[in-house]
Amino acid sequence: MGFFIWLEQTGFAQWVHESESVFAFPTFLTAHVTGMGVLVGLATVINLRLLGCIPRVPLTPMATFFPVMWYAFYANVVTGAALFASDATAKVQTLDFYIKLVLVALGMLSLVAIRSEVFRSPAVDKVPVSSKGKTLAVISLILWAGAITAARLIAYLAPRHHAAFLFQRLGSLL
Amino acid sequence: MNVNLAHLHLLLNHVPTIGTVIGLGLFFVSLVGRNDSVKKASLVILLMVAAAALPVYITGNAANEIVQNRVSKELVAKHQDAAALALAFMAVTGIFAWLGLWQYRRDSRPAGWTMFAILLVSVVTLGLMTQAATLGGEIRHEEIRSAEDAAAGPGVVASIGQFVLDHSWVWPTCETVHYIGLCLLFGTVLAINLRLLGMMKSVQVSALRGLLPWGLLGFGLNVISGMLFFVATPTQYTQNVAFHWKIIFMVLAGLNTLYLTFDESWRVEEGSDAPFGAKVMAAVGILAWFGVLYMGRMLPYIGNSF
Repeated sequence: MGFFIWLEQTGFAQWVHESESVFAFPTFLTAHVTGMGVLVGLATVINLRLLGCIPRVPLTPMATFFPVMWYAFYANVVTGAALFASDATAKVQTLDFYIKLVLVALGMLSLVAIRSEVFRSPAVDKVPVSSKGKTLAVISLILWAGAITAARLIAYLAPRHHAAFLFQRLGSLL
Repeated sequence: MNVNLAHLHLLLNHVPTIGTVIGLGLFFVSLVGRNDSVKKASLVILLMVAAAALPVYITGNAANEIVQNRVSKELVAKHQDAAALALAFMAVTGIFAWLGLWQYRRDSRPAGWTMFAILLVSVVTLGLMTQAATLGGEIRHEEIRSAEDAAAGPGVVASIGQFVLDHSWVWPTCETVHYIGLCLLFGTVLAINLRLLGMMKSVQVSALRGLLPWGLLGFGLNVISGMLFFVATPTQYTQNVAFHWKIIFMVLAGLNTLYLTFDESWRVEEGSDAPFGAKVMAAVGILAWFGVLYMGRMLPYIGNSF
């Protein structure tokens, strides 16, 4: 715990968390959501293609999505680390946060598996997508939907300020 | 004189009613005269009226906040309920109009059932829109009020808003749905617009149109979950400059989608570059949707929602 207390007290983490500047917490959060939109959006397009939607699109050119998705992922590791540092002691006590991390990791693994099973197969675009490829696509869609659900709920399930703060704001509006 | 959102509501509120009359009228003319150009024009009008109906509804909430101590709450609640119902039907009309335009693009003629659906839904919409407009007029014009108009009780919209606030699971659930819808919409927008910009050049542009229903599904999920936030706590949006920008970016993105619906770039074959104009519009499309996301996420920070 000492490490997380130290992390949260670093100048940078303090700045992300406390600064009134729109370039602090709000920008890291918005960049994180944009990265999610790119990563999960393109993953969804690939999975829909594997499941038979847009059948006339060949798979080979769609492989160019993979580097874009990885860049979005790396960007989100950076913004995610900053967001974590700014609220480290609360996040490490939140089970939902770990569930989200695991689901994101599994989601990335599903993309790696899809790439090697389908896109790197010598028969790509010559034969229909294998049933294993289709199963992976379904699993991938479920994992990403789960990751988004767990991620979005952190704001409500994390201890300390956030959930309480939200409902306090709600109360003051009524 | 200070122009406020109440003035904007008074300015815009005639658009859905009169627009639906014009759109539906032209649609009738096109059915009788069997004229495809007139029919396309009528569908474009209905679609644009549907897009305009959302700002009209939202400025209506803002107008209520400005005049609320000077008018009858019951009349406002009845007007709001009628407007919400009319907005919902207008949105369905807009979706069918877009579908009809889309079928023109794909099959060079729309399906019969789409035309029948547009006729049916837009007639109902016109009725509901007229009702909403009349109830809205009665708020400030005593001379047109009928006797039973002062019926009390909270409206349906207010009850839905209260339901959202009373059940702590509704808000987080809507947020989750909103993010999943965002991914469906963003994936579709990126795949099609990146192709136009030159990525995956070996893909025929029209082969990607199977994504459109998924993009539309994402947009629909977000309109529904977004409206639930809005009816629960309207003031935190109507008085939020980030929300105003979000709506402006949404209208821009909608116009961009409309442009790409008609654009010849759907004919771009595998291996070919899209024309320069289509590339510009593709870039505008991505930026406009990013603007919607940016302003949405900044609602609590540039504005003061939660």
